[in-house]
Amino acid sequence: MTATGVGLRTKTVHGVALCDDPAREACFTVVHTDAEMHEWPGMSDVSRRERIHRHMNNECGAMEIAAQALVDFPDAPWDLRMRVARQAADEARHVLLLARRLDELNGHRGEFPVANYEWGVTNMVNTLPGRLAIENRTFEAGLIDLLGSLRTTWREAGDETTAEVLDAILSDEITHVRFANRWIRRLTEENPRVLLDVAMAVRFLARVNQALEPAVGSVNAVGVAFTAESRRPPAVDVDARLEADFTEEEVREVLRQAGFRSILPREVS
Amino acid sequence: MPLSVRARADTVATLRHTSVYLMETLARWVPTSPEYEAKTLFGRHLWEFAQHADALGQRTSELRLGFHANRPPTEAYATILETVRASDPTPTRLTRMYDGIVPDLERRYRAYLEAVDHLMDEPTVRIVERAQTDLARMIRERDEVLTQRPDLAGPLDGGIIEALNAIEEIVDFRPMPAGAGS
Repeated sequence: MTATGVGLRTKTVHGVALCDDPAREACFTVVHTDAEMHEWPGMSDVSRRERIHRHMNNECGAMEIAAQALVDFPDAPWDLRMRVARQAADEARHVLLLARRLDELNGHRGEFPVANYEWGVTNMVNTLPGRLAIENRTFEAGLIDLLGSLRTTWREAGDETTAEVLDAILSDEITHVRFANRWIRRLTEENPRVLLDVAMAVRFLARVNQALEPAVGSVNAVGVAFTAESRRPPAVDVDARLEADFTEEEVREVLRQAGFRSILPREVS
Repeated sequence: MPLSVRARADTVATLRHTSVYLMETLARWVPTSPEYEAKTLFGRHLWEFAQHADALGQRTSELRLGFHANRPPTEAYATILETVRASDPTPTRLTRMYDGIVPDLERRYRAYLEAVDHLMDEPTVRIVERAQTDLARMIRERDEVLTQRPDLAGPLDGGIIEALNAIEEIVDFRPMPAGAGS
């Protein structure tokens, strides 16, 4: 399952080669780093719109990554391709849900800069298990943790509608992470070399993260400082990760990386 | 005289091949079409084609052609599919897919239903009926997109429609080499 003839162009960001951006309408300002984004703290009106705008573009990226995997890996097992096709459709619905919510909050497309980081990183990997390890097992699993907290944040801010949208998205994302976990396990059992593909992909992601992570103390495009706290991974949604078929050992490792902060805790033996 | 088991299997395998091809075509268009309305339409509809391919692929096994067997269509039809896949920009993609390929496929499904004994081939008939419903909805959803984004309406591509209408048979009934096509 190695991509043949992918032919995607690359761009260089801070010395790292990433896959060039997918097509976006002219109304969008496409940037390449967190420092160029307009991320505000808190839940002011502008912060709410930016959060949804950013999430909408990220869901669009997830849809594009799944679609590109269908193009690049025509020889992958059909049942796996079916899961990936379903994921593309799910992510498309997420884009539409968030676009609708953005309209309801009087926001508009292109109101804030967007970055296509996940697309840029994931499509540099030329094996399907490697892409699943990055996009589904890492980015989407991280989103599971984030959504676990964000639902509460939006509810506490009095926005039950957005909280419900995020809840719906969360249940889909758990499904996407689960199929990736199961397929990576299955493909590894069939061919232990797949584990090497996964390890190389994860190492590549770590290298890119390290190169592009904004320095603590630097500020983003609207003057908000990056702090050690803002750089920490989100609290781990233990139940959701277990539901997504991470092993207890894997959940323990993620908990360790997150400083043992968790939500919806359940005892992990 | 209704179609033989083999003829039905070849037809179903060709429709499966076409569905997979169209799923991949829409997948190509997702990252390369700039407009959200088009991207999300293609992203949702590639899943429809995947489901058609899946159901048809299970049926090929029941018709003794192997699980998820694929048969490439006739050369003329394959050429049209390639032309459509290469389409750009978005309005051309939308019109070629939803005014050309999708209605033509619906017509070919209808022709299949007219050609088979509905009791003898009931499992395929059910798959085809569901696919027809999906295809009709896909066209309606494209129309909704055009209502929101009239700028994405392209001129009707008469050439593609004419070429599709000229193709009577998309199934290449010539024997395939052993091991090919699945």
